[in-house]
This record gives sequence, C-alpha cells and structure tokens, in this order.
Amino acid sequence: MGAALVLALPGDCAAATAVTGELLPFDANSLAALRKSHAGKPFVLAFWSVYCEPCRDEMAEWDAVKRKHPALALELISTDAPADRALIDAFLKKYPPGPVRQWVFADAVSERVRYAVDKSWRGELPKSYFFDAAHRVEVKSGKVDRAWVDGWLPRQTPR
Amino acid sequence: MRLLSVLGLLLCACAHAQHTGHAQSSGPARVELASSATFDAQGVLWAVHKIGGHVMLRRSADAGKSWSAPKPVNAAPEGIGAEGDARPKIAAGTRGELYVTWTKPLAKPYTGEIRFARSLDGGASFSVPITVHADRQEITHRFDALTVTRDGKLFVAWIDKRDMDAAGKEGKYRGAAVYFAVSDDRGASFRGDYKLADYSCECCRIGLLPRDDGSVLALWRHVFEPNVRDHALGVMYADGRAGTVWRATFDEWAVDICPHHGPSLAADERGRLHAVWFTQGAKRSGVFYGRLRMNGQSGEPGVDGLRPVGDDTAAHADVAVSGSTVVVAWKAFDGTRSRLRAMVSADGGNTWRERDLRTTSGASDQPRMLRHGARLFAFWHTQLEGFTVTPVTPVTPLTTVMP
Repeated sequence: MGAALVLALPGDCAAATAVTGELLPFDANSLAALRKSHAGKPFVLAFWSVYCEPCRDEMAEWDAVKRKHPALALELISTDAPADRALIDAFLKKYPPGPVRQWVFADAVSERVRYAVDKSWRGELPKSYFFDAAHRVEVKSGKVDRAWVDGWLPRQTPR
Repeated sequence: MRLLSVLGLLLCACAHAQHTGHAQSSGPARVELASSATFDAQGVLWAVHKIGGHVMLRRSADAGKSWSAPKPVNAAPEGIGAEGDARPKIAAGTRGELYVTWTKPLAKPYTGEIRFARSLDGGASFSVPITVHADRQEITHRFDALTVTRDGKLFVAWIDKRDMDAAGKEGKYRGAAVYFAVSDDRGASFRGDYKLADYSCECCRIGLLPRDDGSVLALWRHVFEPNVRDHALGVMYADGRAGTVWRATFDEWAVDICPHHGPSLAADERGRLHAVWFTQGAKRSGVFYGRLRMNGQSGEPGVDGLRPVGDDTAAHADVAVSGSTVVVAWKAFDGTRSRLRAMVSADGGNTWRERDLRTTSGASDQPRMLRHGARLFAFWHTQLEGFTVTPVTPVTPLTTVMP
C-alpha cells in the first residue's frame, strides 16, 4: 500500500463524517478545490440522485469498494438540491454507501456544476470520475464495476 | 500513523462536520421550472407548471408575450413529479377541452400514480383529479405522456413496473413496461390498463404522435437484451391493442443508467418520422436527429439522415414539423450561460441551418417545440425570464450554415 493512499482518507475519519450526516455543498469550484486537496493523490467523484434507480444498487457497490480499499478517497455527490435533504437522508439510510464523504449540488444552474466537472456530461446517472495520482481522469457511466475498481486502484499506487 | 491521521482529518474536514451538523440544509431551494405548453385550436397558448403541491395553469392570448396569473388545476395540494424528465403535461382537445396530467409520487421511492384533470370551460374550472390507471399498487406508474387524436380520443401512456414486480428479483425482467389508457368521453373516464410493451427504460419521457387513422405512435427508450438502452417504436390503438414493437435507434448503449433524457417524435406531410434522442452508445455519443424507418417502410428498420445535434453540451432536444419544415430545439451551455439553440430544415431534414434563439444566466427547463397551424415556436421556461416563446418559423436569416 503506497503512502499516498494512506494519506488520502483514513477510514476512522470517514466514519465520523458519515455519522454526522454532513452534506457538503458542491458547486462549480468544488472540483478545483478537490484537485488541490488531493494533489498528487488519486480520488473518485461519484455522482448520484435520489431519483436514479440504478443509484440504489450503486451504493452497495461503493460500500464494498470502501471496505476493500478503505484508503480510497471517494467523494459521493448527490445531484439533487440542498432542499432535498430529507429525501437524501432517507435514501442513504436505506441504501448505505458506507463511510464516505457526502456532497450535494449547491447551484440551481446544475449545468454550471456539471460543466466544471465534464462539459459533455448531460446529467445521466450514476456517473463516476476516477482521477489518478496525476489527476488524469477515467469516466464511468452507469453502475460502477467493482472488478474494474479493483483493477484501477492498485495501478494508482506509486511503485 | 498518528500524524497521517491528523492530516486526514484536515483533508476530509470531519472534525468540522461534527460541529456543524445540518448547517448545509438551509442552502438554495430547488428551482422548479418543469413545465409544458400547448396551443389550442383558437391559437390561445396554455402552459402548466408546478408550484408546491399544485399544477398551475397560465394562459397567453398573444403567443407568450403576456401571461395570465397562475391558477391551480388541482384544488387540493398533492405531490407533483417535476424532476428530470417528469413534468405536468397539457393537451388541448378538439372541442376546446383542456386536459392535464401529472405524476403524483407515492411514499415508496420511484412509485407514483398518473393523475388527470380536465376543463370543459376554457380553463375557468377543472374536474377533481382522478387516477388514470386501474392498478393501484404502490409501484412505478410515472412519466405520463398525453395526446389527443384527430377524432378527439385521449391517450395517456406511462412507465409501469407491475410486470417487473410480478417477475420478482429472480425474474430477470429488464427495466419497466409502457402501459396506456384511452378516453372516449373527453376525459370523463378511461379504459385501460393496456400494455404497449415490456422492457422500457425506467426514467425517460415517452414521445407520442397521433396518426391519421386514430392510432398513436410511441417512441421510448427501451432496454434491449441484455441492457441496451436504445429506442423502440410501437403503435397504440384506441381499442387497447398494441402493434408490433420494433427497434428505432441503433447506438448500442449497453448500460444500467438513468439517462433522464427521453426522445421526441414528429411526422411530416409525407408521413416520415423525424426524431431526436440522446445516447452514449458504442456507435455514437451525443444528441442525434434522424428519420426513423418503420417496419415495412423502406425495407428494414433503420435511421435515415442521421446527424448530431449541437455540441458536446447539447441536451434535451425536441422536434416539431410543419409541412416539410423540421425544427429541432435544444439546450446548450457555454460555461456561463444556457443557450436555446435550434436547427431548421426547410426540405424535410436533408439540409439544415443552425441558430441561437435565446440565452439565460439562470436555471432553465428543458425546451419544447410547439406548433400552431403552420407555425413552429420554441417554448422555454427560465428562472429569470419566466415562460419564453420564440417563433422559429417562418424561417428568418440564420447565423450558421451547417455543412
């Protein structure tokens, strides 16, 4: 296990985040800030919505991924609005993704947020962005493939 | 390790989280713009949209320059689906009726009922809403689509999960189904529930096209084996029969995903089918226009005149046809503003010109094309400008000539 991954997101800390149920605001500047805070390290942006049915199954996948790779910096981002807080909480309670940091779109112009992440993203969900240590990105549409993540993650570890 | 953990704490700000708790719940409210509009036979424009627990109706006698105050369609408040492709719908009948449908979400996630109300007095009053389908299970009946045939029959189609739920988890049922109901009495009652097709995608709008013979053609995102989310066409007959279902698009989008991005369908004077849709298939990715072949028409099913619509940000295209003039309108984003764009063909979709119709810096709904007589208009509900209506025909000087 490389030091970079250990640094990215220790499991005990993530557990505390999940317990408090905080929903961080995600806007058009958030990816740039995350690139900075994850500088030199891999991280994953995983977008979902309470209105997306495949996102239900996706939560269990992320839970499994995090159990297997507790150091993975996974940012789980709801494309709903802060006003949907009750729906988001109910969804995450019913389909727990495990201890990961939670965000919610905080801009009524969702195009602005999506454009900052990927200008060709039309809002289809689930949608995931895997940033390697150099922050080159691989985009996954649809439910995350656990086997693919298992293959992707070790490749990010410095040899 | 202790030092690393402290760094981790700073990185993920969880210490902060423990103190602030629900501080984020007071962020900006969801901006509700999801709306639909239609011209009636007299040229009056009617629009419906959601405000809280009400579908609100507004009227414009000057093609969208000015609007009446909003008036509730449903007197008693209830849930109204208005996310993604969901929105209230409105259609005008052949004798001045106004028909309105919407999806009422139920307590369980992804469930709903298709609701209906009508006005026989020019929007002055509406009937108490009824549920269109006979099935009353707490399951998916969502993404209502509404149209009126030339002989005045009312068709309502929707996405329905009764067959998936009946098949159970081991049943390997793909997606949902498309069901429909028909009213012969101006919406006083509905006959149904008729099944058009198994295996539709779960969260995309259905495109409907009434035909001269009194049937209605539907275009929807299907789930072909094993999980290919391309489109299918099928005919709904007024007696409840469903015609053969055939494949309409061939993009090979094999994915378990919620595109929230349904197709649109229109026919020209020669009966050719013009469609727009979104895909990220193995063969092509983006928003596309094409003329859909029906079985028995020009041989094999397939797409003619296929071409991309707009740039990488193009989304939620809608198509309308008048004679041989075809207009596709869509939404784009330039990093700062949302743009309502259109491409116009005066020759049935052979050659096209593209133009900017409007921009906005705030939030905006999906655009819809409207037709009144021979004229075509783009309807776009924006947060800052309200309901906007832009005439697209007659064809005016154009900004871009497309290759």
